Amino acid sequence: MSDDPQQVPRGKHGRAPDVFHKGAWLPMRQYDQNEAVDFVIVGTGAGGGTLACRLAEKGFKVVAFDAGAWWRPLEEFASDETHQSKLFWTDERICDGENPLKLGNNNSGKAVGGSTVHFAMVSLRFRPEWFKSKSVLGYGADWPLDWRDMWRYYGEVEQALKIAGPLTYPWGPKRPRYPYRPHELNAAALVLARGCEALGIDWTETPLATVSAPRGAAHPCVYRGFCVSGCATNAKQSALVTWIPRAVRAGAEIRDLAMVGRIVMGDDGRATGVEYFREGRWRFQRARHVVVAGYAIETPRLLLLSATDRYPEGLANSSGLVGKNLMVQTNQAVWGTMDEEIRWYKGPPSLALTEHWNYEDKGKDFFGGYCYMSQGPLPVAWSATQNGRGLWGQALLDEMQKYNHQAGLKIVGETMPQERNRVTLADEKDQYGLRVARVTYSLCDNDKRLVAHSLSFMSHALEAAGGRDVWRETDDTCHLNGTARMGDDRTTSVVNADCRSWDIDNLWICDGSVFPTVGGVNPSLTIQAIALRTADRIEALAARGEL
Amino acid sequence: MNKTTTVGIAVACGLAALIGTSKRADRRAPAQTHVDTARTFNHSSALLALSVLSDSAMEHYRGSFDNPAMYTPIVVSALSLLAGLHGGRDHEPQRHPCRNSVYVGAALAGLAGTGFHVYNITKRPGQWSWHNLFYAAPIGAPMALLLSGALGAVAERLRDEPQHEPRLFGMPAGRALALLTSAGLVGTLGEVALLHFRGAFQNPAMYAPIVIPPVAAALLVNTAIAAPRSRWFTRLWLRMTAALGVVGVGFHARGIARNHGGWRNWSQNLFNGPPLPAPPSFSALALAGLAAQRLRETER
Amino acid sequence: MNLPRYPEYNVLDKRDTPSWDDVTRAVIGERLATPREPRFFDAVQWNAVRALCACIVPQRKGSHLDREPVPVPALLDAKLAKGSGDGYRDARLPPMRDAWRIGLAALDAESRARHELPFARIDDDAQKTLLIDMQQGELRHGAWQGMSSELFFKERVLHDICGAYYSHPHAWSEIGFGGPANPRGYVRMYFDRRDPWEAAQAEPGKEEQAREENRRVR
Repeated sequence: MSDDPQQVPRGKHGRAPDVFHKGAWLPMRQYDQNEAVDFVIVGTGAGGGTLACRLAEKGFKVVAFDAGAWWRPLEEFASDETHQSKLFWTDERICDGENPLKLGNNNSGKAVGGSTVHFAMVSLRFRPEWFKSKSVLGYGADWPLDWRDMWRYYGEVEQALKIAGPLTYPWGPKRPRYPYRPHELNAAALVLARGCEALGIDWTETPLATVSAPRGAAHPCVYRGFCVSGCATNAKQSALVTWIPRAVRAGAEIRDLAMVGRIVMGDDGRATGVEYFREGRWRFQRARHVVVAGYAIETPRLLLLSATDRYPEGLANSSGLVGKNLMVQTNQAVWGTMDEEIRWYKGPPSLALTEHWNYEDKGKDFFGGYCYMSQGPLPVAWSATQNGRGLWGQALLDEMQKYNHQAGLKIVGETMPQERNRVTLADEKDQYGLRVARVTYSLCDNDKRLVAHSLSFMSHALEAAGGRDVWRETDDTCHLNGTARMGDDRTTSVVNADCRSWDIDNLWICDGSVFPTVGGVNPSLTIQAIALRTADRIEALAARGEL
Repeated sequence: MNKTTTVGIAVACGLAALIGTSKRADRRAPAQTHVDTARTFNHSSALLALSVLSDSAMEHYRGSFDNPAMYTPIVVSALSLLAGLHGGRDHEPQRHPCRNSVYVGAALAGLAGTGFHVYNITKRPGQWSWHNLFYAAPIGAPMALLLSGALGAVAERLRDEPQHEPRLFGMPAGRALALLTSAGLVGTLGEVALLHFRGAFQNPAMYAPIVIPPVAAALLVNTAIAAPRSRWFTRLWLRMTAALGVVGVGFHARGIARNHGGWRNWSQNLFNGPPLPAPPSFSALALAGLAAQRLRETER
Repeated sequence: MNLPRYPEYNVLDKRDTPSWDDVTRAVIGERLATPREPRFFDAVQWNAVRALCACIVPQRKGSHLDREPVPVPALLDAKLAKGSGDGYRDARLPPMRDAWRIGLAALDAESRARHELPFARIDDDAQKTLLIDMQQGELRHGAWQGMSSELFFKERVLHDICGAYYSHPHAWSEIGFGGPANPRGYVRMYFDRRDPWEAAQAEPGKEEQAREENRRVR
């Protein structure tokens, strides 16, 4: 099809798709490749999309690149898990280590809007103490950020995305009321609630980035349950339907189907622009500043691929930490069968959660925390979970037949930063001729103790809620962070608190790679908050002539 | 449909309602008989019953008639509707025993319904939580059935009173009716406020039904307590409240049309979208309030 | 528990309702029209694949009334013909297509070594035993070329075959999944509540009632 967004770029000819109206377009500014724009941003997800929007709104000239397609959700998101894998990063990556990662639908998107196009919309704030994990809680590393600063930015993101959340939040310091009211809990979420009440801990409706009432041209959620396969109603407040349209309106240019393969350095050791592959050939865009926002695998990959004689270990790597300290979050679960019909395919997957074990420090034999939430996997995802259990044949079919009576509790668990967990370059090359990423990951003992604690606790909770034949899913991870960590010391970090690299003053990193620790909550809200802060800092630095 | 068009349509509906209510007043003879007041209360009760009939039918269908008791409000409100239509044409200055029983039954059903709804809320995880107030059985909904019964029963009582200086509950009838309708308006307010709050007041028009009716209620209390005289501002405000019920239906229809899939997706949007039968309850109470006011004006 | 059943429920009945949109109809239409003849597998591999799929997802004939069995081998073949990966690869496994070629050849080699017949020609019990051994990493014939049979079984055999089966509308109907849902999602979210367009579960002794309701699903 000549209009296939995976073959033919849509961000050109001075226009961008208007995702709110079928077949419609928005005018989009276009910048000349040979004229240095103020900022080139590589990646348009939670980090890059947010930053592109705010920098453009502050008057900077911005061109943002994404390797993925510019989708029109209303017309192009089918109600089919298999087909919708088109939203995931399906280029090859090689996974090893003691616990090789499974990438794709839990952690890597490829689209304008990045992984937010397929994310589960869980929008949680960091526990304030985590910003000083090392000095206050005794593990990991300190962030060079103050939690009060971040608290303000969290509020701004929540307003921008009209997060639908509970009226009172059981944990942490006071926060402003979520802009929209929480969604109706489905039966799977009520099972979590029952379990928590039986065990005497708090629970709450999950703050979600999908609207529970109309918002402009966005419809409220229809509870179709295909969230992690892409929202076809635009209720989900992904970057694709929030930051990106704002960025375009503010004068940014988004180039889709544009794989950035190299950041080009000048003789003065500063970046001069990016080489990117679009419409069959390599091109070059000049820029005064380059921001890398490709998430925790592509960001270090690009920095390593851009090595030069001057920077043989890759860019911004004097600390040697580019690609290191990869952190996922553990995603183990317990599952059980209920007497009642649950039909968990109705509604967003994680409508209720508890952060009890993020805020409770007693009774743990491990550092870090975890939250757990209710679940609603669709058939293909659920069969993959059964496979992980080793089921096949009639046993598998019989187990799958109980589909409408299942309930589950799944953690988002903190893992420790370990330098041995890293992203490096393999020798294999991808379709662009670029060396693919090798992702090496192993859990440490602390991580395993956290998982054991969570599985034990959640088993009790599910049984207390009436779950029978409760079993444990012991092998799953989600999210990716840490491979270009921020800090206040150039020998132990890659970027400073402003996301500016220590080594190259016009090279910035603004995505989940900058997390020194990963916490026990989904990272998307924190990534967007960091992007908002970075935009404000850039504006301040520019005003002082320090850019 | 763009914003200007819809606001225009809303305003037109409102004006039509205003004109409608005022024309009726002009046609009437200057002296308002208590039977006329009773008949208006029968009509208001009928309109409330119609609202309850549609709303409870839809909502209990949504609840899959899990509990057989959920058929009750449908049956009872249908009876109340018939009674109200019957009573509206009845000029007899005496209580109709059959209608009266229906009305008492409706009021009792409304009370029982509240009990059932409270049980529904408290049996769910979270018990008295915002979530359950938003999404479990609506706590304020059975109130409308109670009001339908109350307005009708009071209308029957009023018919038994003498033509000259009719009294209810130990006070002049006009005063009693103004207080009753004022209470009814306040009672209806709670559910609207809750549900519009749930909708995050995403459209500023959603503030109208929680701003206009309380003022109407206050004006009715004033009408009841202060010396009887002609009050144009109260009349105007009550007409606005009546118009609110019509305009509300228009906005709710727009809300359903705007939801994903629009009217074609009616099997979802009629239930997940804003409730069409709810706003006319304000019109019903406002019309009753206007009748109470007219009666009050004849008192000393 | 007695396994839930949804007699006569078919998600395809909702194709022309607000539950399905154009893009979904196109995508599922294409899936239903998957060619039954292989384009990736050769004749020898095809025999092995068909037998393998029948073991992993046994489909009893006529178990779900007049629905045809899900063409799992064809769907698997289509996935391999297309060649799009999952976006990652365990370092210990070769790329997807190579893994399948090696794995199928190894399976036949193991079968010949034990029974002097290829995998498709041995009886059910013998097939199951071989697969259990594969799952437990006990197969180490040279034909594996160093690839772990355990990993191949878990990451390719189970992942790809079950993924193919549960990507088919008949599998959705079988388990009572609501299926495609755009623009119409769901209204009733609570325990034991069903929207009229969802599958009706047959209560023991009341099969006919569920059948009736499922026939009316639209």
